Amino acid sequence: MDLFPLYITVKVSLTATIVTVAVGLVLAWVMAKRDFWGKSIVDVLIMQPLVIPPTVLGYYLLTAFGRSGRLGGFLSDTLGIELVFTWKGAVIAAFISSLPLFVKPARAALEGVGSELEDAARLLGKTELQVITTITLPLAWRGLFAGAVMAFARATGEFGATLMIAGNIPGLTQTLPIAIYDAVQAGDYATANLLVGIITLFSFTVLFIANRFSRVRF
Amino acid sequence: MLDISLRKRLPGFRVEVDLSMDDELLVLFGPSGAGKSLVLKMISGIIAPDEGRVAAGGATLFDSSANVNLPMRVRRVGHLFQDYALFPHMTVYENIAYGIAGKDGEEVRKKVGELLSVMRLTGLEKRCPHELSGGQKQRTALARTLAAGPRVLLLDEPFSALDYQVREKLRADLLNIHLMYPMTTVLVTHDLEEAFMLGKRIAVINNGSIEQAGTQEDVFYRPLTRNVARFMGVRNIFSGKVAALDGAHVIMDNPDIGMVKAPMPPGPALSPGDDVSFCIRPEEILVIRPDRVLGKVQDNILECRITGTVGRGSTHILYLEAGEGKTPLKAELPNFVLRKLGLAAGRHIKVSLKKENIWVIR
Repeated sequence: MDLFPLYITVKVSLTATIVTVAVGLVLAWVMAKRDFWGKSIVDVLIMQPLVIPPTVLGYYLLTAFGRSGRLGGFLSDTLGIELVFTWKGAVIAAFISSLPLFVKPARAALEGVGSELEDAARLLGKTELQVITTITLPLAWRGLFAGAVMAFARATGEFGATLMIAGNIPGLTQTLPIAIYDAVQAGDYATANLLVGIITLFSFTVLFIANRFSRVRF
Repeated sequence: MLDISLRKRLPGFRVEVDLSMDDELLVLFGPSGAGKSLVLKMISGIIAPDEGRVAAGGATLFDSSANVNLPMRVRRVGHLFQDYALFPHMTVYENIAYGIAGKDGEEVRKKVGELLSVMRLTGLEKRCPHELSGGQKQRTALARTLAAGPRVLLLDEPFSALDYQVREKLRADLLNIHLMYPMTTVLVTHDLEEAFMLGKRIAVINNGSIEQAGTQEDVFYRPLTRNVARFMGVRNIFSGKVAALDGAHVIMDNPDIGMVKAPMPPGPALSPGDDVSFCIRPEEILVIRPDRVLGKVQDNILECRITGTVGRGSTHILYLEAGEGKTPLKAELPNFVLRKLGLAAGRHIKVSLKKENIWVIR
């Protein structure tokens, strides 16, 4: 029984979740606390991966990050980073598709910390950074954690976009969902059943945890 | 010391407020939507005025002409929010200690301990805000604000979230605290009783501007505008034209109730033909006993019909119609007077608007 797909899935999903939380936190904070021209457009762009077909998303990524693309060419020639058909490509796919699942609840959690509490802290002599670390984040962390768990779950289940940009290379880029597809195609139902079982149990656990934490205590 | 001059335009609303005060408690009184909270927010820097100046305790916090706009954290303005804005994830102790900056642990403990005892919060320091009563929350918020050592204290309807029963005690508390920590304090309220109890000085704000600012006596008994009179609970306000002058008195003509005599208001003399308003508080209207023989010269006697009575605890409100029935009057009488004279709806009585109780608004 080859458990490599499980390993690569965990590795890709964890990396993608870290990137998602780092980038998503900034985006969510800006969306929650700042007003700027074109905010509604940015909002739509962040949310679009939720509704766009994963293959379309994968196509965009492939075009952008492929060696013939501007971005891909730059990364490959100047920085020596290859994304297409590597596990890093799978991370990019998982990051883009899980971003909205983090930003949405994170933004709501940050907005939920009323501006009055933050103003109260400012009036008590605190800098913006102190306000964020002592008031905003401690009060919003449950929502942020729930969002991160959802993003992680989405990243583990990524199929279409991952297939487009990272391909299906056993032992290199073959993640669990892709391995399941492969196993079914090959008539290997024993493997398929096992992997399906793992994913089902996993997603149940993740949702259960996310639900518990999204309940607001204050 | 607090000196403010604020101009702010908002869609459909304009604020124009100039106020100056010393280490005293000023009540900013006005109806809902008058701009009271907005004024406080412009002092503390939550909202920036379009132009103007805010100076507190010798420091300029905002000055549009000199391009000064200090960030909130260095303004040292104590702002007590209407629902207190306590940090829900911190205990009472942590809330109070939050704004004490850059001091060693022992000093912080001492300061918080002192405030806990002054605010009668000792023993509650480990509680979270959701475990406190309304009054305890308010005192915690006040302690947190005072702990940071503010130059001025802004209180935004501090009693509105509390039960009626605890309000009275907490108002007395607040006056004590003001004596212990004397500093310029602005208290916003729309409650007349509260304004009267707390404010030696009252500024009446309406529709974004100050209509009158002065001592409690002045604002209450000598309103400068009809609005101020109305907000101060003067229910009987009439229009009139000056008909004649009689030494220190002015005689005004109201088309419905006729000639009314009143003391000349301070300021430039009125002259016949001037349009004025005059008013009298409900509790200052006297009912004349039916059997009383009236003397020869009696000013301001009105024939009225009682249209209704409403009990208000120890007093009754009498709704009257004077003149040809076009002028409603409201009188407030002790219950025993009502019983003794057998006053009830439908009866005709005579009332006296004693001239010294009438106030003329230019």
